[in-house]
Amino acid sequence: MTTKTLIGAAIAFACLAGAAQADKLDDIIASGTLRCAVTLDFPPMGMRDENNNPIGFDVDYCNDLAAALGVDAEIVDTPFPERIPALMSGRVDVGVASTSDTLERAKTVGFSVPYYAFENSVVVAEGVEGDSWDDMRGKTIGATAGTYEAIWIEERIAEWGEGTFRPYQTQADVFLALSQGQIDATVSTTEVANANVDSGNYPGISIIAKAPMVPDYVALFTMRNEYGLINYLNLFVNQQVRTGRYAELFAKWIGEGEPAQLTVPNAYR
Amino acid sequence: MFDYTFQWRQAYARLPQMLEGALVTMEVAILSMLIGVALAVMLTLFRLSGNRALSAVATSWVEVARNTPALFQIYMAHFGVASFGLYLSPYVSLLVGITFNNAGYLAENFRGALKAIPDTQTRAARSLGMTGMQAFRYVVLPQMLRIAFLPMTNQMVWAILMTSLGVTVGMNIDLYGVTQDLNALTFRTFELFAIAAVIFYLITKAITLSARLIASRLFKY
Repeated sequence: MTTKTLIGAAIAFACLAGAAQADKLDDIIASGTLRCAVTLDFPPMGMRDENNNPIGFDVDYCNDLAAALGVDAEIVDTPFPERIPALMSGRVDVGVASTSDTLERAKTVGFSVPYYAFENSVVVAEGVEGDSWDDMRGKTIGATAGTYEAIWIEERIAEWGEGTFRPYQTQADVFLALSQGQIDATVSTTEVANANVDSGNYPGISIIAKAPMVPDYVALFTMRNEYGLINYLNLFVNQQVRTGRYAELFAKWIGEGEPAQLTVPNAYR
Repeated sequence: MFDYTFQWRQAYARLPQMLEGALVTMEVAILSMLIGVALAVMLTLFRLSGNRALSAVATSWVEVARNTPALFQIYMAHFGVASFGLYLSPYVSLLVGITFNNAGYLAENFRGALKAIPDTQTRAARSLGMTGMQAFRYVVLPQMLRIAFLPMTNQMVWAILMTSLGVTVGMNIDLYGVTQDLNALTFRTFELFAIAAVIFYLITKAITLSARLIASRLFKY
């Protein structure tokens, strides 16, 4: 009797242990769905078409990843500040949300190798004098709160010891404030800047220069301890470049020119 | 399935910044209450004046303030007025938005309080030779403020909590704005917002408790 109980217990335990060892990668494959956090007010990376369906570079990237895993993709619209709660509470599996891979953030989440890199441009309101970043000294400069460029602007203003920084909640609010003349300038990704100038929705704004900053490398992210999944993401990013899919997506969503280099010269990752 | 390791030490290091933010939050709320009470008294007088135009102004103010979201009011105070070429800084936009909201709600509270004061008192005051204005100032207003005191406390608590809507107009020096910034910077979401929640709770608790103390001192018969 006791032997039987013991054997039963042992079998039950082995099953549990097996279940416990399944990692997030297994869970995603088993569930048949990959849930991606994508920020849908960040064109051309994430946005909605006229039928309100999610589209953009990040959306396609998530779909490619789901296809590689052999599962369905589910796009979860996640504003920038909500990326971490969404991941930690298990609402999403992976973040494909143009997230800058800062060391400070890497203490909290696990990043893949960079899957895209942004250059940033300085955009000014009508009637603002200047043709370089340094001419913005002492002016009121806005950006989307918590982005790589927002953090960079705050640091520059602190260095200058003059000028004002204005964070807004969405990219759209920044450009609204810029076209209204509430702020003198903004620094935003070149892709977004071009899209907004060309759209004609924001009269009077113009791009004056590239911002003198290190390119903004963005990475996929997931739980810090999910090495199996992070490993897979790294290989996936590599394959996207290798197969030419990266260049294809760049041409589709961003357009002319060369897609950004994802490696840093003279350094391993 | 909540998989998160709390790193309190990292979050506590940011506490001084958050407390500075709390000061700004209190400053905005207190200013908005002071201006709001003055405006609410004005609106109440408008309504009592019997003048059609004034009373229409007061009524529409109260209607809009009470029947649209505070978020919308604050957003309009920034982006709305800017389309008419009037640029308010985030701080001022937030103050204007909350004050507008406060004045509307308080005016309604005052109206209710006035209803509780029999108009025979005004008549008695007038028969003692006071002017209408004097009767209002010395007889009606003190009683009105007494009745409206607790609803005013509630509104003060709301004013504190409403400051968190300032992030929509680029406010980043109040408690919520600071917390949001730090969240983007460090991704320690849960610790930071937990701390912010505790600070908010302590501020509002302090307000309600001190209001009770003040009330017990002020309104002794």
